[in-house]
Amino acid sequence: MVSSVKKSVGDMQDAKKAYPAFAKINGDHPFKSQVSEGRVEYRARTKKGGRVVFFHFDLAKEMGLLPKDHPNTLNPDLEAQILETFSIQIINEWDIENNIKFPETEIRPNTYMATRYLQLQHPDKSGRTSGDGRTVWNGTIRNQGVTWDLSSCGTGGTKLSPAVNIQKKYFQSGDPSVSYGCGCSETGEGLETLFFSEVFDKNRIKTERLLMTIEYDKGLAINVRAYPNLMRPSHFFGHLKQGNYKTLRQVADYHIERQALNGAWLDVRSKGPSEKYQYMLNQVARTFAETAARLEDEYIFCWLDWDGDNILMDGGIIDYGSIRQFGLFHSEYRYDDVQRFSTTILEQKQKAKYIVQCFAQITDFLIKKKKRPLADFKNHASLKFFEEVFEEAKYKNLLHKVGLREKFSGDLLKSHLNEVRVFRRAFTWFERAKAQRGTYKVADGITRDAIFCMRDILRELPQLYLTRGELLQPEEFIEIIRSSYAKKPDLRLTPMMLKQIQRFQVSYLNLVDLAARAQKKERHQVLLDITMRSSVINKYDRVTGDSITYVVQKVARCRPRLKPEELFQLMGEFAHYQTLDPDGRGQVVDEAVGDGYPARQKNILRGMAGIVRECREGL
Amino acid sequence: MAYIPASSYLSEFEFQHFVDQYKRFRVKRFLHFPVDVPFDKILFKEVLKADIIHLGGGNTFHFLLWLRKTKMLEALKDYVFRGGILTGLSAGAIMMTPDISTAGMPSFDRDENHDNIKNLDAMALLEFDFFPHYRNSPRYDAEFRRFSRKTKRCLYVSPDGAGIIIDGEKRTFVGPTWLFHEGKKIAIN
Repeated sequence: MVSSVKKSVGDMQDAKKAYPAFAKINGDHPFKSQVSEGRVEYRARTKKGGRVVFFHFDLAKEMGLLPKDHPNTLNPDLEAQILETFSIQIINEWDIENNIKFPETEIRPNTYMATRYLQLQHPDKSGRTSGDGRTVWNGTIRNQGVTWDLSSCGTGGTKLSPAVNIQKKYFQSGDPSVSYGCGCSETGEGLETLFFSEVFDKNRIKTERLLMTIEYDKGLAINVRAYPNLMRPSHFFGHLKQGNYKTLRQVADYHIERQALNGAWLDVRSKGPSEKYQYMLNQVARTFAETAARLEDEYIFCWLDWDGDNILMDGGIIDYGSIRQFGLFHSEYRYDDVQRFSTTILEQKQKAKYIVQCFAQITDFLIKKKKRPLADFKNHASLKFFEEVFEEAKYKNLLHKVGLREKFSGDLLKSHLNEVRVFRRAFTWFERAKAQRGTYKVADGITRDAIFCMRDILRELPQLYLTRGELLQPEEFIEIIRSSYAKKPDLRLTPMMLKQIQRFQVSYLNLVDLAARAQKKERHQVLLDITMRSSVINKYDRVTGDSITYVVQKVARCRPRLKPEELFQLMGEFAHYQTLDPDGRGQVVDEAVGDGYPARQKNILRGMAGIVRECREGL
Repeated sequence: MAYIPASSYLSEFEFQHFVDQYKRFRVKRFLHFPVDVPFDKILFKEVLKADIIHLGGGNTFHFLLWLRKTKMLEALKDYVFRGGILTGLSAGAIMMTPDISTAGMPSFDRDENHDNIKNLDAMALLEFDFFPHYRNSPRYDAEFRRFSRKTKRCLYVSPDGAGIIIDGEKRTFVGPTWLFHEGKKIAIN
């Protein structure tokens, strides 16, 4: 455990010299000057008593905060610099109303902004009062052609939180009488985001990243997130709802400029205003179609409601509070959010499409300066484009899951779409099959169990075809694909089940043969390639939402004995173990888990792997 | 050819490496069969029909625990008695000896017995002990001399890249190997 760091002024100057990049992060942010009504600014003061419990050394190097050759250890200078930069608390409306005085030496020279965005749980429902309720933006840092946004969660309650607007009064930061709205965050929240987001990032799913966690008494924390662009659709929607053309345009221009600056959108700067906004709409349609397909195919539950505050503009995941990954396609799970149930995983697509429809409305508004009703855009060309991209992405994702290489799956889709479609139908039939038990309550919602594990069949089938050279018997097929949720009545070999088993196998082998023909190879050669790739892609133990919860509980229990660098190492090893990239270079270890790690970390990692295995089919 | 890794942890990548190695010898059909995760009997039966089964390297104690738990230890012995070819690397090789004591050696570089296994009995397909990753140095030799005095069995030790082929009564040594017996060290090959 690293204790709080107290530094003299001279020592602090040494720390600043050692880590000059931190000085750029001081509350300044281009959004402040470019979007006139997009934020609320707060003065901030030093928050004492913090200690760094996690620091993402690799991310800090990628962002240019640390030199590349910096050792992955938290020395006193680095910790002091981190605390100096990030351990802050805003001076909020309650502090001002109650005339609370803070020593001038503790007050930061710059203000920090909380951004305004639409949140439907606010009574106003139009974004006038909502936005970052417990987060402020620390600033930006640019390195290797990418500008990163940094924001800190847990820096005190702002007037944009739901609690302030529902109860119509300001709250002291940390007021225990309000949970969400007190402006605090917890270490556990940070750890959950850390473990989930690192696994997603390693598997090329766009996501916010956790740069650090600073812990205070009673498990309270400041969790600092980083991403190349932290704009969400909801940053647009508030101003759209209010018909605030000027601010909406400023937000759009700001966003387009950042995407261009980061090289994410090419050639957009040279376009005229209308073309530029049209370009933005196309990007949003493509991004949200691909994201919706990917989330569905990876069984990721992300509550994509139309206020769009759980997702970033480029489809990246933000705010892990309600994020889950299912082990099976539990497509009827709904999260119970007290006032309402969430969408299901299958309804995400419609929500994503609705976001695109809103952007069609935004684009039209920006170009014509007149806001037309959203319903006018229900048949907009961008929605047709969304459907096309979504369908293409679904096919590509499926062929990837099977284990086919991308360069050949593209050919298959071009020349043999019908054959792929037949396989997709059979695959979907099994993937969506549900238990006869019906819908029932779980701890945080309702669900109806999926009964087949598609990963298991996709992993074993190529091996068995390779060794046997013939189709499996229906009983064998069921024995492999059945999950622990399936009961006897679910597995009866009805005529329909037999037909689907036959269809699945025949169409699967048909795809293999088509791929073999395209590659001028023998069937067994393609099956071997698929066997190897599929064993990685469809690995037996893959994280689920439940497993992350238990993993974090385990880490939290061990954490008092773990140094920040050990937690960093552990997180890295866990994410590596959950990387399902067949083209990545796997690290072959000569131990049950993690060669070269201290015994204590190995034990934790082994325990984590056990949890992932145990929860692999759940929610 | 079936590949049984010592642990499922990242074994998918070991499997890829394994396939790449054996493809060169024109082996065409491979199975990947970790035993420390639940498996179905379909694949299990298929593994026991393979021409060659290869036991991978890793933590020997962990490997033994799961081979025993899944009754694979007996099944593999039976497989060999039926004429199957069983190969092993490191932990996989030790698994064919009477017990896995050598996994706990040398004291300065040994496998950790995280699972706290007490019964170290292995397949006993061979009547001698085996130690892989041997380095020809006095530190290693001192431990092996002591060990061979205690067990009375022959202990063969091979550095990386070397090994032993057992075909019925015939033993072929590939690469340098030494024998430790009753405290003496003898160069074999």
